Amino acid sequence: MNPGARKIVPKPKALNCPNCGSAIELRAMGAAAAVVCSYCSVTLDATNPQLVILQRFQAQMTVQPLIPLGSRGKLFGAIWEIIGFQQRGIDVEGTNYFWREYVLFNPYKGFRYLSEYDNHWSFVTPLPSLPVPGQNANSRPTMTLDGVTYGHFQTARAYTWFVIGEFPWQVKVGEIVSTADYVAAPKMLSSETTENEVTWSRGEYIEGKDLWAAFQLPNAAPAAIGVYSIQPAPIDNRAGRPWKLFLLFAALLMTMMIFFSARARQETVLDQTYAYQPVVGEKSFVTKPFDLAGNSANLQVEVFGEGIDNDWIFISMALINESTGQAYDFGRQISYYSGTDGGEAWSENNLKDSAVLPSIPGGRYYLRIEPETEPPTPGVPAALPKPFKYNVKLVRDVPFYFRYFLGLFFLLLPLPFLGRRGPNFENLRWTESDYGVPPNAIVWKSNSSGDDDE
Amino acid sequence: MSKFYMIYSSLVAGGLFYSGLTGWSFGSYDEVKGVPKSVRDNPGAYRSHYAGSARYFGGK
Repeated sequence: MNPGARKIVPKPKALNCPNCGSAIELRAMGAAAAVVCSYCSVTLDATNPQLVILQRFQAQMTVQPLIPLGSRGKLFGAIWEIIGFQQRGIDVEGTNYFWREYVLFNPYKGFRYLSEYDNHWSFVTPLPSLPVPGQNANSRPTMTLDGVTYGHFQTARAYTWFVIGEFPWQVKVGEIVSTADYVAAPKMLSSETTENEVTWSRGEYIEGKDLWAAFQLPNAAPAAIGVYSIQPAPIDNRAGRPWKLFLLFAALLMTMMIFFSARARQETVLDQTYAYQPVVGEKSFVTKPFDLAGNSANLQVEVFGEGIDNDWIFISMALINESTGQAYDFGRQISYYSGTDGGEAWSENNLKDSAVLPSIPGGRYYLRIEPETEPPTPGVPAALPKPFKYNVKLVRDVPFYFRYFLGLFFLLLPLPFLGRRGPNFENLRWTESDYGVPPNAIVWKSNSSGDDDE
Repeated sequence: MSKFYMIYSSLVAGGLFYSGLTGWSFGSYDEVKGVPKSVRDNPGAYRSHYAGSARYFGGK
């Protein structure tokens, strides 16, 4: 930086209050129309070099601006100084609702405003052009500007309760204007109507923390209360976002299904047919050893019977690791029954059964098989035992598709509840409007003449 | 709330990925540890937990 250069900072012009004699700093000299003495609260005509008194009485200052007058900060690409502050309010069914407005001044850009309600902030710019009126599908008034349609939110009569500092108009406590707000979050169009003029402005929501950073204010910005008319819906609560996430995860699941299916070895490690003669004595036997390759994977067991007629065979099996002695016990049953009932033939064919053993570690195994059939009834001579044939097939690492469809079900499960979050936020946004419900809300209209209660 | 759904879905997807890696699936068996090596030569020395249990006889 050139050491000879001086940083030029605009200095306020100092005058004295004609009422109490206190020094008054005029920050927007030549641009402000009114200035309020911060000591005696009289309103003075800032366009008159003699600072003629416009209004003497004002209630004692009860409102402290959250951002002090004289604060400077960079917002929307320009340096702004806060030169004025007012509190305004509306009366809705006997309840006063207050908001606060800060006058911002930049010698090159002119005036802008910060509006604050329940610690929600918006940056307000006067409009040089008029929006175009219209109606939405529910016959609510709208205003369209620059291709954006704003829905009517509220019409009220605003009363000025408190003022301090400089204003570009001759502000007075007790001033009443008719206001109308139209919203398209995060922006709002507002009109103020007096007997003589209608002014339009556009507000844009700004986070308190961003404002505090811009004006380098100490401490943290006060926490916003509730949902404001132009508060952007948090990303978390935007309707439809959970569904987008669902589609994303559903695609991920399908990718996993394809990946693991392609990766599945589907290796047959045992495929053997055995004959079983139901005789007294030890029935169990073991298969030849086989290797289950790789790390942990599933093992599909298929059992298929032949020559079973009106009988069943239960095959209890134990998959035993040769080296560790770890055994996995399970059983499968096959059966075949047929006959006639009232002249009608019937059959129950369960000659095939299968199971998937989950998470079997790799290693060398053998299968212990113990078939079992109907034991002979005591006292009844046993019929000539019939030999059965059954096949046991073991397949290592088979695709298991069901888990992915189950995963889809679990992904879908919370969506009906989450989907309501977005609309809830919109409902809250419109709670304080003249309508109480969002513009797209379904409103049941009765054709009766109000005699429902009768 | 999407944050919740993001975490929830990540757990579901993570669980499925883990089950794909380890071969986890539905299906049950009884695990028995320390089966003696003699079973290889004498299968009758071991009794499966499923042996001798009640069966469905089927038919009408």
